[in-house]
Amino acid sequence: MRKFFALVLTLAMTLSLFSFVANAEGYTGDIKIWVADSMVDLTKAKVEDFKAAHPEYAGINALVEPVGEGDSATNMITDVEGGADIFGFAQDQLSRLVAAGALVELSEENAAIVKAENDPGAVGAVTMADLMYAYPMTSDNGYFLYYDKSVITDPSTLEGVLEQANAANKKVYFEINNGWYQPAFFFGAGAYVTYDVDDAGNLVKANINYATPEGLAGLKGIIALASNPAFVNGSSASNAMDYAAIVDGAWDQAAVKAAFGDNFAATKLPTFNVDGKDYQLSGFGGFKMLGVKPQVDEAKLAACDALALYLAGEEVQAARFEQSGWGPSNLKVQQSEAVKNDVVLSALASQLAYTIPQGQYPGDYWSTATALGDDIIAGKLNGLSDEDLMAALKDFEAKLIALVAQ
Amino acid sequence: MAKKNEIPEVDIIVDHEAGVIREVKSSKLRSQKAHERRVNRGIYILLTIISIVWLAPFVFLLLQSFRSYLTEDGGMVAYLIPKTFSLDNYIFLFEDGTYLRWYGNTLTIALFVAVIQTVIVLSVSYALSRMRFRGRKLLMNVILVLGMFPGFLTMIALYFLLKQLGLTQEGAIPGLILIYTASSGMGYYISKGFFDTIPKSLDESARIDGATRFYVFRRIIMPLSKPIVIYTILMAFMAPWGDYVFASYVAFGKSNSYNVAVGLYRWVNTQDYQGYFTRFCAGGVLVAIPITALFLMLQKYYVEGVTGGAVKG
Amino acid sequence: MVDLEYLKLSRGQKMVHRLMSYLKRLPGRIARGFLKMLNAIGLFFKHIVEEVRDVGQTFIQGDFKTRTSFFIMGFGSIARGQVFRGLLFFLFQVIFVLYMVFFGGYYLSKLDTLGTVETVKKGRVTVYGDNSFLILLYGILTVFFIIAFLYTWRVNVKQNKIGQKLQKEGKKLKSAKDDLAAFADHQFHKTLLALPTLGIFTFTIVPIIFMVLVAFTNYDYTHQPPGKLFTWVGLDNFYNMLGTGTANFGDTFRQVLFWTLVWAFFATFLNYFLGMMVAIMINKKGIKLKKMWRTILVMTIAIPQFVSLLYVSKMFAADGIINSYLMNWGWISKPLPFWTDGTWAKVTILVINIWIGIPYMMLIATGILMNIPADLYESARIDGANAVQTYAKITLPYMLFVTGPYLLTSFIGNINNFNVIYLLTGGRPLSLELAGNAGHTDLLITWLYKMTVNDTNYKMAAVIGIIVFVVTAVINLVVYNMIPSVKNEEDFQ
Repeated sequence: MRKFFALVLTLAMTLSLFSFVANAEGYTGDIKIWVADSMVDLTKAKVEDFKAAHPEYAGINALVEPVGEGDSATNMITDVEGGADIFGFAQDQLSRLVAAGALVELSEENAAIVKAENDPGAVGAVTMADLMYAYPMTSDNGYFLYYDKSVITDPSTLEGVLEQANAANKKVYFEINNGWYQPAFFFGAGAYVTYDVDDAGNLVKANINYATPEGLAGLKGIIALASNPAFVNGSSASNAMDYAAIVDGAWDQAAVKAAFGDNFAATKLPTFNVDGKDYQLSGFGGFKMLGVKPQVDEAKLAACDALALYLAGEEVQAARFEQSGWGPSNLKVQQSEAVKNDVVLSALASQLAYTIPQGQYPGDYWSTATALGDDIIAGKLNGLSDEDLMAALKDFEAKLIALVAQ
Repeated sequence: MAKKNEIPEVDIIVDHEAGVIREVKSSKLRSQKAHERRVNRGIYILLTIISIVWLAPFVFLLLQSFRSYLTEDGGMVAYLIPKTFSLDNYIFLFEDGTYLRWYGNTLTIALFVAVIQTVIVLSVSYALSRMRFRGRKLLMNVILVLGMFPGFLTMIALYFLLKQLGLTQEGAIPGLILIYTASSGMGYYISKGFFDTIPKSLDESARIDGATRFYVFRRIIMPLSKPIVIYTILMAFMAPWGDYVFASYVAFGKSNSYNVAVGLYRWVNTQDYQGYFTRFCAGGVLVAIPITALFLMLQKYYVEGVTGGAVKG
Repeated sequence: MVDLEYLKLSRGQKMVHRLMSYLKRLPGRIARGFLKMLNAIGLFFKHIVEEVRDVGQTFIQGDFKTRTSFFIMGFGSIARGQVFRGLLFFLFQVIFVLYMVFFGGYYLSKLDTLGTVETVKKGRVTVYGDNSFLILLYGILTVFFIIAFLYTWRVNVKQNKIGQKLQKEGKKLKSAKDDLAAFADHQFHKTLLALPTLGIFTFTIVPIIFMVLVAFTNYDYTHQPPGKLFTWVGLDNFYNMLGTGTANFGDTFRQVLFWTLVWAFFATFLNYFLGMMVAIMINKKGIKLKKMWRTILVMTIAIPQFVSLLYVSKMFAADGIINSYLMNWGWISKPLPFWTDGTWAKVTILVINIWIGIPYMMLIATGILMNIPADLYESARIDGANAVQTYAKITLPYMLFVTGPYLLTSFIGNINNFNVIYLLTGGRPLSLELAGNAGHTDLLITWLYKMTVNDTNYKMAAVIGIIVFVVTAVINLVVYNMIPSVKNEEDFQ
């Protein structure tokens, strides 16, 4: 009996020694991956392709879970250790994740590859203080106008869109209490709000000019929209009812297509008119990206790096576009005929000319913007004089500045 | 019970001179009867309205669950009655394994919690009701004070405690059973109130005959406590079905460990799921049916429990 | 005021009188309570001193077995034949020593700073430093473990003293069998309570102490272990919350607290009276189908709230079914702002809460109404009282008397009524008038939840939690002193 144990022990030790040698270059073990629910099957299949192409990583056991870009950052921050090794997230979460120690910067080689293969906006979005922290996955995180051709014949002005919708007794959806959609008006009128970030991912300074005539024009535009009977606050196509137009992003195209059928159309955002002057609605151009969390094991880190690079690379981006219409950030995929001819992505591209690239915003920026939006929707700003509106803007601006002053 | 204390249906009047109570039928009483009927009619109308208001959301929910997500619209629409009734949503729930998995998880949790929690609650209430020992008052006061802290305060601490035990995410189901039951001794009030009403002389005579405390507990008190046992089981079984907060916090990032509340909540509140609203409705209906059935079956015990609890605090 | 005068007062006046006299006595009570506390502390120290003296005496008068037990726990018990007991003592000591050497000592030594070793990067590989979270958590556990050890050690010493004395007198010591049998009989409460109290200790007391301590640290997402350290900051968070700090928290806090109390008041009493009314209607003689009416209402209790409330919340949305039907019928031209206007949202929530609450109250009231002696009603009828008078003179006083404790628990429950608010509005609408992401319909508890989960602002969440505790405790104390029927538990036996 004792002999038998000794044998087993020796065997086990030899094996583990061998496996150590064999894994010097590769990695065997679990890698947790979080992606949107619709991407789970695709990601699983692509990980298999990756393993087939890289025999040294054949021992990877990928645990793919449906945690979408909307939830992943919060979950990662709650428990970095328990979170995924590779996870998708939207660009605005980058600084928060870096500050919470949930992202590791790219290796120099991978950074060079990402830089060469993706559009400059996407590269800028993953870069913070000269370091790249994530792999761009899409360049479609922006919004534009979906509309029903049979109801809205001329989508060029917001006033026109509302009027045509009202005539048909239909709704126009625009989520003005969301800090992401709301700036379409402010930026369109020429105001801006951005934040400076330091190396550690902390936001240090606010650049903002909302309390100006430009900001005032933007605010008035929102108030006018909110008091229109056709207006409904919202941006989720599948929960929207009886609408003729919705300001929404590429991810909702299936729901909108289902609702509009043959009358489906998409274009850049309309202009809005304040005090006789037309402004083009602007907004954010944003990106979705894949991040790798800090690792204590060098081999695992290398495996995660390689896998993330692949999952954010040309082949998988093309697959995502084909399956769900996600707009690629990869230059080669962007040049493909299918992408160029895509209605939704061309609408997005034409809107892109008017947007500003989305930088980093403090977590409370979003809730502060929601607070302003909720106040507008509740009618608290209706019928106020320009001076009073300006006072409200000053208050809003002060709050946005105070977010980083704390 | 219901019959005994109702006001008798006869009209009575006191005849002071004769010093007796007599049944009287007079024109005045007849007009009172008419008045009574009018009042009752009013009450019926009110009760009907109330019933409609109370049932409406469930009827709506049920109607929408029959709207196909494939051929009609799985999202929110401005009308209630589907254009065609279909079972597509239910078929999806059964074919797509995740929902069944969540359902199974919840059922597992509920069953375990029902058993463990009942044992714990009954133990604590029996000890506090029947036995006098050092530290009894202290224990009751500590529990009272602990109850004043809001439950979600400790969420993060509980999460990491469970994590140290490996009971989060993959292990979320045993983990949830553990948190639901660990502190359930604090909910002893109602069953202690019940035990308090069982005469102590019963125990004492048995004790004089040489029975141990354990014997008294098992053979004398338990058989008398059927209503409160059923009430405790019912409450313990029902609670896990509705828990979103702790369940989502403990199981995050592991879809296989979700309970129905977490899974369904994500279907309507996460951007990744488009057009899942009717499937949410169907999922909700499937949760509601067994719970409602069980509840209606055991309603009697529930009423006894809450009434007793309300009276005794 | 003499008793006779008091009895002449009307119900309302009596209430006022009781409240006033309570308030008048309050300073005295507080002072007395304070003295009592000082007294208790004094007693506690006196007790400690006595214990220490007793331990010393035990050592001086102890034989060899007893003295050795001071260092090797359980030695005396084993030597005196109580092997089982002794082994348990000894095992505990071994576990304790091992725990302290390999685990507890480290965490205890770091408790004052919550960690100093920063996380660093070696190349791109991360080397984690101290984990403040675990230091705090295990630090607390270690402190408790030490207390438990000291207590056990003391018991061990006492056992030796008793054992020595009994042996000297020539009496027999308890065997292991006796010990075990006791747990099914006069020590039965220990058997019953061991597991439940262990559960409460580990999963309620330790986490609460942990979170209370977090309120004095800077634990938030920028100080998130394992990547970052957090540390003690004293009372800073309390200053921030209560208004002397930045960010307008104080003002928002007062508003949220006010709404929490208003909500709890209306949610409790609206449901109480309306539920009672429905119960009276259903139970009125001559009303048929009693069981059916009850069942319809009770269904709302059985259906999980995350289903019903989420659904109802969508029904009342700007583009929800209620607004669309009202607009289709031409009754309104713009959607009613059920959820978007702060005041509307508050009222809507209260109304929907009636929908949730009436069934519970209806059931409770039904049970109690049946217990009101029927002859009370009969004599009222004979005296010619009408329905309203009967209600005011008999039903209501009886109900109020019997359900006093329920009203209190239900009020406290409503202060912490998370589900209704969170599933219906999530605290929204927000407003620039409020700080810290609070919304118009946020209760303290939902605000706390949002801070924990959405903002990972644990330090502020902990502060709110402590405040909720204080509010609840004060209400409890005041009400407890005013409702006589709550106090004496033996009355029910």
